[in-house]
Amino acid sequence: MIILVAEDEMMMLKTIELRLKKDGHQLIICQDGREAIRKIEESSPDLIITDIMMPFASGLEIIEAVKRKGGKRIPVIVLSAMGQENVVLQAFQLGADDYITKPFSPNELSMRVKRYIPESIST
Amino acid sequence: MIPWQNTIKMHGSFIHFFLQVNFHDLISVIYGFLVLLVLLIAFIIVYTFYKRKVAYKKKLWRENIAIMISQVIFNEDDGTAPLQISFDDVKLLHKSRFRQYVIDEVIPAKKNLSGSATENLKKLFNTLELDKDSFKKLRNKKWHIKAKGIQELAIMEQVKYVKEIFKLTNNKNESVRNEAQCALVSFYGFEGFRFLNVTTHPISQWQQISLLNNLHDVQPSNLQVIEKWMQSPNESIIIFSLKLATLYSWYYAYDQVIRCLQNPDRQIKLNALAYLTKMPREDTPDEVIAQYSFGDKKIKLAILAILQEVGTEKHLPFLLKQLHNMDDTIKAAAAKTLSYLHPLGIAFLHTHLFADEYPWNAIFLQIEKDRAA
Repeated sequence: MIILVAEDEMMMLKTIELRLKKDGHQLIICQDGREAIRKIEESSPDLIITDIMMPFASGLEIIEAVKRKGGKRIPVIVLSAMGQENVVLQAFQLGADDYITKPFSPNELSMRVKRYIPESIST
Repeated sequence: MIPWQNTIKMHGSFIHFFLQVNFHDLISVIYGFLVLLVLLIAFIIVYTFYKRKVAYKKKLWRENIAIMISQVIFNEDDGTAPLQISFDDVKLLHKSRFRQYVIDEVIPAKKNLSGSATENLKKLFNTLELDKDSFKKLRNKKWHIKAKGIQELAIMEQVKYVKEIFKLTNNKNESVRNEAQCALVSFYGFEGFRFLNVTTHPISQWQQISLLNNLHDVQPSNLQVIEKWMQSPNESIIIFSLKLATLYSWYYAYDQVIRCLQNPDRQIKLNALAYLTKMPREDTPDEVIAQYSFGDKKIKLAILAILQEVGTEKHLPFLLKQLHNMDDTIKAAAAKTLSYLHPLGIAFLHTHLFADEYPWNAIFLQIEKDRAA
């Protein structure tokens, strides 16, 4: 599965990258929101994992960009810090599919991602 | 002399000066300026190059550190095997600046991750002896470095330094003691509040919230110590202990809380009332009514709100009297409580003698609307 990961913290990005690569996924890595929006328009990922607070464009703007793009439906998992419940609600209103609150376990992320693997790939 | 005549005279002397400068001197001055300019440009170029080099090195270090840490996180999911650190340039690990970069990456990772990953991060912190770097900061004279060191040790759960951190819980610098107090609570939960026995400085509202946020005990065992803190000469400790008693529903502190109601401090009274709202007894309405006349408007409103919860028909005369208070907000609060306690319920408002008179008619109408909503 091709997963686009948008996260501005290098450490978190590397951790997510290593975990998901271990699971056999292909990754498109973005360190800011604007880069993520550009890459979503250029490529066609199967899943998007995005942080909310990022430079240039937020995770919410990424969700809007995904919905604007149309075409195949791309699920979005939002990474949020504790106490950002209002933003998470906003993300769901915009069309996010799931969210994980920091601090999170990389293994939990891996399991959540598995839920979005299309049956054709998982079998 | 007129000012403009003065200006002309000055300009004249400047022109005279320049006419006296010979060509050779002028060339020397221009040459000197050019040399200075070249030196300045050279300095700017070298400095920019140096800054870029540093920024590039920083970026490279950060990437290497991120790779190293992310590999450590997945080292062994069971967390029992010894940690294997793969890093190309071991010499770098002896540089204090590089070590600080590692700390600056490990700390947010520890905050953002959970599960076995955090155990591996702690192992990494100890294996690289980064705890010693953080501990060194505790000895620094600058308060912000000291505070940062405490924060790092607290996040990385370095309980072995508790003795030194405890000493800083009553430090004269607010940031240092706040960090030390939070560290203690994050280490031991409720047990960590033992610094309340010794601290002489006030604990700010913000710090009280931070301390409660760091609290992770579900039900601590020695809650009776709260009653001792309620007798502290430090008023902020009394306020905080009242909050703790309310949070843990500590029933046994009731008598001490009633004594706190008589304290002249407004915040102490309000927090005591908050406790009594949550943990009332049969005598609570009489106890709070006894304090009613000593309180300001906010306290009076809090007492009327408690009566709404625990008052009985016995307290109707007191409430009816409050309907004639000069303050309309108090009138409204008393009317609302009456609408709950009176045998006629909300219909009582229509039977009142002043039901058609202003401001009672407006107040009663509002209460009816509020209750209907």
